[in-house]
Amino acid sequence: MAEVSVKNKLRELRAARDWSQADLADKLGVSRQTVNAIETGKYDPSLPLAFKVARLFRQPIEAIFASDE
Amino acid sequence: MEKPNIPDEIFLGGSKAYAWRTDWRVNGWLMVAVLMSGAGDFFFADQVRHLNVAGRTLIVLAPFFVLLCWMRNLARWIRGMDELHRRITLAAVLFAVSATFFFVMLWHRLEVAGFFEAICPGRRSWDIGTLGHGFLLMTLFYIVGHTLFNRRYQ
Repeated sequence: MAEVSVKNKLRELRAARDWSQADLADKLGVSRQTVNAIETGKYDPSLPLAFKVARLFRQPIEAIFASDE
Repeated sequence: MEKPNIPDEIFLGGSKAYAWRTDWRVNGWLMVAVLMSGAGDFFFADQVRHLNVAGRTLIVLAPFFVLLCWMRNLARWIRGMDELHRRITLAAVLFAVSATFFFVMLWHRLEVAGFFEAICPGRRSWDIGTLGHGFLLMTLFYIVGHTLFNRRYQ
């Protein structure tokens, strides 16, 4: 089965709030490397973390994470 | 929000994130086990040999009970990581454990086959089954594994 590639708007949302990766990492309770890996598409977050991101930015989860297809 | 644990905290010389307190909290029991095992091996030939079987067995098994405490601390530390670091660390630990297992097995088979005796005759023992050797090998393979798996996410 082909892998589903996931795109996200984390970098744009973070930049709009003028937060650094470290700031966002603190708010999400993850490391800065994890934020960087998600933003660059090297790592797809788990569903609980994706919900946390959505809650933090007050947006529906599908507005932040979307399938590349 | 509480900061997650990161692997660099216990990588001596790995980065600025190294924290000896955390390292000691995670790996303290491992150090104790290695020291106990080393002391047992050192004295086994002389003093310990004169003890009864129960005493000798206890001396051999004691470090392994201490290792259980280390494993509990390691598991707690890994549980305190965020999901990415937990994934990387678990992969590195699995790699380290299996690589150490295969290395020790291979070494043992080569020893039984007389390989080491042939290339370096006269040495009394080629045994690498001690806790100290295991600790060194696992650390080495953990560093290799962590470097490999971590690179993917940088």
